[in-house]
Amino acid sequence: MRDLAKVLLAVIVGLAILLPFASAYPDGLETVAQNASVEGPEGLWHGLMPDYSLPAIENPYFSTLASGLAGIFLVLILVYLVGMAATQKKFKR
Amino acid sequence: MHIPDGFLNPYVCILTYIISFIFLFWAWRKVKAAYPRAVVPLLAMSSAFVFAAQMLNFPIAYGTSGHLVGGTFLATLLGPHAAILSMTIVLLIQAIFFADGGISTFGANILNMAIIGALSFYVVKLLSGSSPSQKRFLASVFAASWFSIVLGALLCGLQIGVSPIFASAGGLLVTVPAMLFWHIIIGVGEAAITTSLISQLVRVRPMVLNGLAILGWDTR
Repeated sequence: MRDLAKVLLAVIVGLAILLPFASAYPDGLETVAQNASVEGPEGLWHGLMPDYSLPAIENPYFSTLASGLAGIFLVLILVYLVGMAATQKKFKR
Repeated sequence: MHIPDGFLNPYVCILTYIISFIFLFWAWRKVKAAYPRAVVPLLAMSSAFVFAAQMLNFPIAYGTSGHLVGGTFLATLLGPHAAILSMTIVLLIQAIFFADGGISTFGANILNMAIIGALSFYVVKLLSGSSPSQKRFLASVFAASWFSIVLGALLCGLQIGVSPIFASAGGLLVTVPAMLFWHIIIGVGEAAITTSLISQLVRVRPMVLNGLAILGWDTR
């Protein structure tokens, strides 16, 4: 458990350091769509944190970092809950 | 490679949802039958890592970027069944909270990234043989992670290619080669990152991969 807390800290620090270096270029699929001049119809759902940013925070770096942290904890919690539901306490071979 | 809403025709959405649900059901059953509760914290942590890593796009060429998907990483670490579940949850959080990947296209995104990525476990296993040397094991991880991206991109190219909004641009004849072209390059990034992650883990914590013994596979 302690090891995992260290890994979590490393993931957060790693994200905070590497985020400014992340490329803003479109990814493979977005490039293919742009070259085909395809634009998806205005979607109905924009997410609570569109484009990995918190609308409440103005600074783009901290906005993205905060949304990333929220995402990390959401994944952590949901995978943990699903994992607990999918495994038994007393595991018999 | 996250397909947004509106890029696929409804039949493709429904078909990929059905295929993905079948695999999710299979994965759930297998996890229930074979996984001890002790792997859950590692599973949650590695999924959170994959989510963070997916935010870090690396530039490849001609103004295009790519990012780690992490399917092969999760599958090598925790086996294909747990990898399908955890990757699906990463995609779910991305779709719901970040609108990264659509809701109607969620089934296709599960298929292209979670399922293909997780099934690349069997490519690792096939290429490694029964008791691989570390070099051969890592080479297998490299090949499998590259292949998982290229195969996922091929499926994605087929799915968007039959969609009416890509028809005027040339349909399948354009989308499939274009998706393959970019992801043959992006796949090299995926393979390099995945292989270095796994090799570091093997070096620092060989115990981590022992978890795979639950699937009857000794990596040493």
